[in-house]
Parts: sequence; C-alpha cells; structure tokens
Amino acid sequence: MRETLDQSLRRQGVSRRAFLKYCTALASLMALPPGMAPAIAAALGKAMRPSVIWLSFQECTGCTESLTRSNAPTLEDLIFNSISLDYHETLQAASGTAAEAAREQAMKAFYGKYLLIVDGSVATGLQGAYSTVAGVTNLDELKKVAAGAAAVVAVGSCSSFGGLPMAHPNPTGAVAVSDIITDKPVINVPGCPPIPVVITGVLAHFLTYGTLPETDLHRRPKMFYGETIHDRCYRRPFYDQGKFAHTFDDEGARNGWCLYELGCKGPITYNSCATLKWNEGTSFPIESGHGCLGCSEPKFWDKGSFYQPLSGGTWTDSGTLLAAAAAGVAVGAGAAVLSRARQHHAQEEK
Amino acid sequence: MDMLAFARGPGLHWSLTILFVGVFWRLTGILLLRRSPDYSVARISGWWTGALRLIALRSWPRREFSATTSFPTLIGYLFHIGLAVIVFGLQQHILLIRSLTGLSWPNLPSGLVNLTAGVTAASMLALLIRRMTNPVLRLLSNFDDYFSWLVAFLPVATGMLAVAHLGARYETLLALHMLSAELLFVWFPFGKLMHASLIFLSRGTSGALLTRKGAAI
Amino acid sequence: MNTVEIDAVHPLMTEGPRLTVEPPATRYDKQGDLPDGERAARAVRQFVRDFGATAATWLESCIHCGQCAEACHYYVQTGEAKYTPVWKLEPFKQAYKREAGPFAPLYRALNLKRDVSAAELESWQELIYDSCTLCGRCSLICPMGIDLASLISQARHGMAKAGLVPHELWAVAERASVEGSPLGATPKVFRERCEWLADEHNVAIHVDLPEADILVSMSSIEIMKYPDSIVATARILNYLGTSWTFRTDGYEATNFGMLSGNADWQRESSLRLINAAVACKAKRLILPECGHAYGALRWQGANVYGQPLPFEVEHISEFLAREMQAGHLPVKPMPASVTFHDPCQISRRGGATQAPRVVLDKLGVDLHEMEMHGNLNWCCGGGGGVVTIHRADALRYKVFQLKMRQVEDTGASMLVSSCSNCRQTFDDGQAHFHWDKTMHSLLELVADHLIEPAASKENAA
Repeated sequence: MRETLDQSLRRQGVSRRAFLKYCTALASLMALPPGMAPAIAAALGKAMRPSVIWLSFQECTGCTESLTRSNAPTLEDLIFNSISLDYHETLQAASGTAAEAAREQAMKAFYGKYLLIVDGSVATGLQGAYSTVAGVTNLDELKKVAAGAAAVVAVGSCSSFGGLPMAHPNPTGAVAVSDIITDKPVINVPGCPPIPVVITGVLAHFLTYGTLPETDLHRRPKMFYGETIHDRCYRRPFYDQGKFAHTFDDEGARNGWCLYELGCKGPITYNSCATLKWNEGTSFPIESGHGCLGCSEPKFWDKGSFYQPLSGGTWTDSGTLLAAAAAGVAVGAGAAVLSRARQHHAQEEK
Repeated sequence: MDMLAFARGPGLHWSLTILFVGVFWRLTGILLLRRSPDYSVARISGWWTGALRLIALRSWPRREFSATTSFPTLIGYLFHIGLAVIVFGLQQHILLIRSLTGLSWPNLPSGLVNLTAGVTAASMLALLIRRMTNPVLRLLSNFDDYFSWLVAFLPVATGMLAVAHLGARYETLLALHMLSAELLFVWFPFGKLMHASLIFLSRGTSGALLTRKGAAI
Repeated sequence: MNTVEIDAVHPLMTEGPRLTVEPPATRYDKQGDLPDGERAARAVRQFVRDFGATAATWLESCIHCGQCAEACHYYVQTGEAKYTPVWKLEPFKQAYKREAGPFAPLYRALNLKRDVSAAELESWQELIYDSCTLCGRCSLICPMGIDLASLISQARHGMAKAGLVPHELWAVAERASVEGSPLGATPKVFRERCEWLADEHNVAIHVDLPEADILVSMSSIEIMKYPDSIVATARILNYLGTSWTFRTDGYEATNFGMLSGNADWQRESSLRLINAAVACKAKRLILPECGHAYGALRWQGANVYGQPLPFEVEHISEFLAREMQAGHLPVKPMPASVTFHDPCQISRRGGATQAPRVVLDKLGVDLHEMEMHGNLNWCCGGGGGVVTIHRADALRYKVFQLKMRQVEDTGASMLVSSCSNCRQTFDDGQAHFHWDKTMHSLLELVADHLIEPAASKENAA
C-alpha cells in the first residue's frame, strides 16, 4: 500500500496548517471559492501518491530546471516530491537498464492509472530516429507509455506545441505530444519554461478531482492561461496613454514605460507571469525591463523577431515592392498600348 | 499558421504587392494613353503654376458654392483628417510604417487617437447615410462607392474593437484589424480609393489646361 | 443635299425671338436608319477615338460626391437628380471603363461593365444635349477638378456618330454643312445684307478684299437677327482706320458642327474661316459676339488646323478692350446702371472675363454685378445649341428664371452681354415671361457712343 499524500507530507514535517494554506492558495489560483479549500485538502490528503512517469524528448531540461532550481524548498516542490516519480531520466538515481526496468515495472503496476508527463518535442523525421533513448525512438516510446496512462501532461512549449525543435525549418520533423496522442486526455502547460506553480497546480487538480482542469483552445488550463500578460501588466497604463520606451536605455525605459515598441508580445500571450511572477514572486521579464517573448504561445519562434513590434510586419522587403511597381508599370503600359491599338483600329472604321 | 501570423506575414506581403502592382498599373495605364498636342496660343504660359494653383484652390469650395457644399466638405474633411490622425498618430501604426519604410516620428497620445477614431467612424457613418438617402448620391452610387466605404470603415471599426478588446480574443481582433487594412490595400488600386493619388493628377490636369486659356479654375 | 432640299426638310423658323428650324411635325431625333447594334458600336468607336490621357485622368477620378449637381442650373432649378452633370456622362464613363481604361481588358473579360446600348444612348440624349449648355460651371465645383464640360463635348462626338442628335440641332448643323451657315445666312444673303446695310447706314463695309490685316467674322444670329452688329463692327474698324474685310468664303463664326458633336462638320466650318484668313493674309481674326465661336476658333481652331494658326484670334470684346485702353476709341460717357451677363464660353471657359468690364469701365457705366458674375455666372440656358431645340423649351424657361431673378436682384436698368446667342435666348425668355428687360450688345453700345464718326479716316480706308 502506497502512502497517501497527507502521510507523505507529515513524514516530511509539513504541518497541517501549512498544507491547508497551500490548498487555499491553490483554490484561489484555480478560481474556486475559498470554501473549496478544505475539500481540496481532504481530497489531496486522501489521494494516493500517484505514479508518474516523466519522459524527456527533444528538450533542453529547462522545464525540469524550472521546477527544481528553487532557492528554498517550497510547498510546490514538496507536492512534486510527494508524487511517486517512477521514471525521470534527469532526476532519478538509477541509470541504464535499471532505469528502464523501473519504468517497465511502474507501467505494469499502475497500468491505466499512472500520469505521463512529457517535456520536449517528438521527432518524427526518419521514423523518429533523430532522437532515441536506449535504442528506442521517442515516438515509439511515447506511444507505448501513453497507452497505459490515465492522462498526459505536456510540460513546456516543446511538448505542448513543438517549441524550438519545430521552429523553421524543423529538420527533425518535430511535433507536439498532442499531435501523436489523440486517444488520451492531453493537457498542455506551455512556457519556456512554464511557471513551476502552474505545473503543480495542474497536478493538484488532477489529484483532487481525478481529471484535468478546463482548457482553452490550445489545451492550456484556463485558470493559468485565461488572460494575456498585457491585460495584467503593471505597465499597461502606459500603453493606454501611448507612452513607449523606444530603446532599452532611454528615458521611457527608465520610467518603466510600455515595451510594445521593443517587441513585447504581452498582448497576444496568455500566461500568468504578470500575476504569479517568477523566482518566488520576485519579478517577471517585463518587470526586469524586457518585453515578453510570447513563449507560451504556439510557434513563438517563428513569429518574427522578438524585437519586432507586434504591429510591425514580419516581412519587409523593399525589393519585392520595387518589383511589384515595375510589374505594375509593365502591365499598365501594356494596357495603354492595347487601348491605343483599339483607338487605331476604331480610326479605320465608321 | 494562425490568422495573426498570416496577417503580419504573407497577408501583408501580398496585399502590399497587389497594392503596388495595381497603383502603378492604373497610373501607367492612364498616363500612357494618347496625348494630343495643343497648337492654340496660350494666354498664360507656365502650365505648372496653374496645376499647383488648382490643386491648392480646389481644397475648399469657392465662396459661391459654400452654401450648398460646405457641410459635406466639412464631414469629408473630418473623416479624412481623422483617418490621417489615426494612421499617422497611433504608435502601433507608426511602428508598422517604420517596419516597412524605416521612417518614424513621435506618436500622439493613444487617448486622443481613440477619440479621433470615434469621431471618424461617426462621420463615415454620416456620409454613408447621406449617400443612401440623398437622391443625387443614390443615383450616382455603384458597387465601388459602397464597397470602398466598407473597406475604409472596417479598419476603423476593427481597430476600435481591438483597442477595446471587445468581441473576441485580442490576437483575433488584431488579426482581423490587420486583415481589414490589407483588404483596403488590395482594393485600393481598383476602386475609387485611388482618388488619393488621382486627385492630384486630375486637378493638376485641369489647372494646367484651364490656366493655359486664362479660364476660370 | 442642296439649299432647296434642306429648305424642304428643315424649314427655318425666321419669325419669333430666336432662330432655329420650324418645330418639326415629326421629330427625327435619330438620324439615318442604322440597326441599333451598329448605332451603339459607332458611338463607342468614337468614344474610344476620343479617350486620351486627359479624359482618362478625369474619368478615373470621379468619386461620385454629387457636388456638381449644385453647380448645374438644371439641377438647381428642377431638383431632379438625373441632371447631375456627371450622371450625363454615365454611358461615356461606362464605355471608357470597358474600352480604354487601364483595367479595360479585365472589365471586358469579366463583363464587369456592359457594352453601351443604343437604347441607353437614346435615353441619354436629353441629358447630353437638352439639359447641358456646356457652360462649365460644374467644372469649377468638382473637388477632383474634373472638367466635366470638356467630357460632355466629347460624349457628343459619339452621339453624333451614332446619329443620336436632337432633331433641330442636327438640322441646323446639316444646313451649316450644306450652305456654310446654320440659319440661312448664305454667302449670297450675307453679301446682299452687307451691301444693303452699307447703303442704309452710310458706312463702308468691306467684303471680299483680296488682302487685309484683319479678317472679321460674324455669327449668323447677328447677320439674320441683329444686323446692327455688322454696322457697329464696320464703324468701329473704320474709325480705327484699320485694314479689314469680311470674306464670303469665310464669315460664319458659329459652329453647329461642334455643338452637335459632328467633328467633321466642326472641322469644315473652322477651316472655312482659317482658310479665308490665310487667303487674305490676315494678321488677326476677330470673332463676333458669339460664345461658342470663341471656343471653336480661339482654343480649338489650331488643333483642327493641325498646326499653330498663322494669325491671332481675338474676341470682339478683347479687341475693343485693347483699343479702348490704348485710347483709340474715345466714347461718350454713358450714365446708365448696367449689369453684364458673362457668356460662359468667353468668360469662364474662354479666359476673357475682364475684357467686357474694361469696355464698360471706359463707357463709364454704373456697373451692378450680379451675385454670381464673371467666372461664376449662371448660364442663360441657351448655350451648347440648346436654344435651337424646341422640346427643351420648357426646361430652358425654368433655368432662365434663375437668370431673371439674378438680373432683377442687381437693380440695374440695362442688360448687356457680348454674345448674340445669349442675346437671342434673353429675347426669347423676355417674350415668354413678358419681362421688361431687354438684352443689349456690348459692341453696339461702343459703336453708338463713339465720339464723332471721324469721316476722314473712314474715307481713307
């Protein structure tokens, strides 16, 4: 019998009070009424430590770093620690065949119940041969492991949307997890990397309700991706007034004016950075003086320069326009010649 | 490719390409038609001063005509100036122009531009209502008149919706706004919107010809 | 056709306040018996011939703002939208878009603009002829600067090719082609009239001198209706001691070929005058008090001739203004309060707006300008050949009321103009409305107020 989450937390010295506080915070994050906190606590407390298999494909380990590189142990990583992470190439102590054996065992023991977390995109080029682990392609492994999963969580923009590996020209034929797995619930937790509490929040929701939270059109949990950075940005009043920083070190930049002109993608980026912030609520990119890159949006690498303003075109080629003008002159001259020929012809008739 | 990426990339690319082909096609097609020499003795030489004079003078109705034409002229000016303020005053638009031409200038406060957009939209609606109710305008109006009105009005309307975040997600509104402007680029050379450049040719031509005779301009 | 035949087909109406043909028992507003398709095709071919860069620039520029309506006396007086000047060009515009514009191949391929039909042209006849005097007032209101009057003149060319000219206008134009004059002032009539006037008024009237510095032309309206103008012209030219002559091979200044839209007949008429002037080695051609004659010769003459004219062309009012300014024509002061009606083709369209005012100033009259005067004057309603068209009378009287109101508002007691066609339109309007104002000729006023006849100079000439 595996221990419950409650037992696990107690064992690690987390007080009941601290746990309830976390549940309250979680309830508010998930936009549930405060009265739901005890219910969450009860559900979470009774939940078995779920078995989790974490597969890493074409990724940079930034998502794992995001979760583990906290300055001090937090409830988020305690929750994270409380899950039964049966396979995680980066974090697990075992290696080689022993590691693979652990995964096989977990899959067999909790078939149909374990949670699959994926970071990294799936290479499909050359039948997936661009990325293999222990001689098995990511593509095959994903299909095999997903077959026994209760649900799949795609952590990070690569597994959610293809991310950097899929960026033009996408040499490996990288795709998102949801492009491969179509018969299981898949939730995307994009970001490069995603905010740690967003990952644990999704896990908590799964543990509490046994289901994945409500998602938007990109399968992102609405509770964290429901609003744009722009809508919640503390620099928004400057945007509304038309006050913009023109360079990274001008008067406007020092005054903390809007970074739209410097390429900020906040207006079209749905994420919680502006409210949850990073590094234990210290700051987020815009607060540090750099525009949002839009990393939690599909194909954010291919949407033109990060420093090109949103309203600017992603294409500027005066050569094409010159050619178009020349073509116009040529066609127009042709039309005029045709009209003159018709005039000439008309001249000869009555 | 999502709608916004299309609007910012290929949409912009192709609409501008069509705009350039069309504008030069139309202007060349007009200017290269036959021109007959005028052998009559000019009363006043220096045709280009006449051209410039008429271009300037006809910007406001003569005093004699002002009683009947001041109102539509005023409304016309209102929405033309409004469009200019919006297009050249809003930072987002300046940034687009900068991305295409490298030129930029200081922007106007967004609040002022938003107010202008309201006035512009209202004056355009007033002109549409006038076109649909005035017997002369009803008789003259064809598809071009109404469609050109629509493609000029849509960017204003979608721009206002985008600013207000009304009706859809912001990226959708922004994409629709950009696409509506691209529709305007595409239609521009083929319909009456082209008067933005033809006005100078037409006035200049009359100014030169009439001044040559010393006739009224 | 000869004189006898044309007298039978189109008898002239010589009685009454204006000159034209007798009201026809049956109107023939369609000339010839072409099938409709061919009629429309001919019109369109002529439109195509006329579309140059200038017309194209204008036709491309219209934004359908409708302001031209407000400048047009027909719209202002009736409130009917169809009289909007640019609407009168609709078939012409349609043909342009389909046949000559930059997108014409697209318009044809996709059939976006239909071919102009004969029925359409027929229904536009009233708009192109009866309700447009080519006065060009609309050209001054157009915010796009389109010269609408020029375009309507061009549209008439196609109408004439299609044989769709109003009965009377075609009749007088045809007569001009046959007899050299539209209203019966044949060379024989003109010569006899000059001889009779010379006797009657004891003034030397030179006809057919082999050489002269100045060739003087006349309008058939003056010859037939206001012969005093001939006398006045002779007296003034004799007074100045100039070398001048009338020529029976080139005296008729009116050009109904131009007004009807028949470019061949226009050319014929203009060439008669030009060749006569060349034949007598004239240095100057003086055009009479006739509006459209000024446009036809001063501005279009050289282009019909195909090269610059070897002589100067001047309207009689310009000639008078120049001579009076130079002090060559001293006149007795004339204390009357006068208002001047500007002939559109000489003032607004011709550029000689100031000349009559110089003359009136020298005459010392008390000039009361109308509210709309000079370049902005309202047309009398008879220009462009409209005064000849019987079926247009009712409409013409409507627009004449505008003119009457304007004249009344000045409070002036005397009405002067420098165009015999305006003058006969005023006479006709005066008769119709039993108005107390009579139009006078500027030329005749000058002649009547010359100080001493200077008989010695006259004899020397």
